[in-house]
Amino acid sequence: MNKRIDFEDVAVGDTLNPLGLGLFTTAHLMRWSAAMENWHKIHYDQPFATGHDKLPGLLINGSLKQNFIAQLLKDWAGRTGWVWKINFQFRAMNVVGEELTVWAKVTGKREAPEFGLIDLDVGIRNDKGVESTPGKAVVALPYRGRSPVPYPFVPPAM
Amino acid sequence: MPLLNDEAKAFIGYKSEPFAACEPVERGAVRRYAQAIMDPDPAYAEAVEPYGAPIAPPIFPSFMFRTPFGAPDFLTENARDPDFDGIVMGVGNGLPPLPLDGLALLNGGAEIEFFAYSKHGETVLQSSRYADIYERETKSGPMIFVIIETEFTTEAGQILLRARKTIIRR
Repeated sequence: MNKRIDFEDVAVGDTLNPLGLGLFTTAHLMRWSAAMENWHKIHYDQPFATGHDKLPGLLINGSLKQNFIAQLLKDWAGRTGWVWKINFQFRAMNVVGEELTVWAKVTGKREAPEFGLIDLDVGIRNDKGVESTPGKAVVALPYRGRSPVPYPFVPPAM
Repeated sequence: MPLLNDEAKAFIGYKSEPFAACEPVERGAVRRYAQAIMDPDPAYAEAVEPYGAPIAPPIFPSFMFRTPFGAPDFLTENARDPDFDGIVMGVGNGLPPLPLDGLALLNGGAEIEFFAYSKHGETVLQSSRYADIYERETKSGPMIFVIIETEFTTEAGQILLRARKTIIRR
């Protein structure tokens, strides 16, 4: 996360080093529920999740998973870049007992006056290869030999 | 029979006034959050350039609107209700709840724009609006999609992030 990566270092088709997380246990979900102080039972109450809400198991919180995508991109962009936009959909459920891989792939490059913009596809796959959280992101990176992306970030006019 | 009623649809466009989280960005809350999301970034514990002070994880501001001192205890109030799903939204987002009783709630995804990190000790405000509410037939049956747009800012007016969340009710 301390390494500078410049716009010129990146090519369309590049993949980021994936972030591997898990094995997820009920304790991981309790720790997250406690950290954010929300007690939605589908994350720790098995009879409620599978009986009342008819879910396949205790769900790994979408609110937790979004942080993983932000982390992968933030660590890649480093202190001289900036994660501008992330969007994602919770298309499939992840349940306790799974391991997750957070991934990103460069799909485009655009030049703004002060810095470059990298377009990426992002997502989270479980250990069975099922994609649960597909989305897209835009990361701002500095041009080689130029100043870091300004902080706080101001979106480019383009 | 449609799930979505006119009473719920009337909330489209409703916007809350900006209001502050019950506590500023607390070091302990940042630590527990960072440990729960398994992100060991040292910038959450110590000042790292260019941020000028220890910061909270990128999406942290959206989880700061917790249950304040003096608020009702929903867990005890609902302890005998077998349908109570345990959702405690703190002070929520300032939007009135939709009249969609008995429907389960799922997080459908989001679009987030980031502008700055919140710093330890900083007060964070939010303002939300119901951007859209609509029903769609899916392969799992009819579902209601609730789109909520929220801006999080500092007291000084610096925007931190803007989130457009999709909540699914079914």
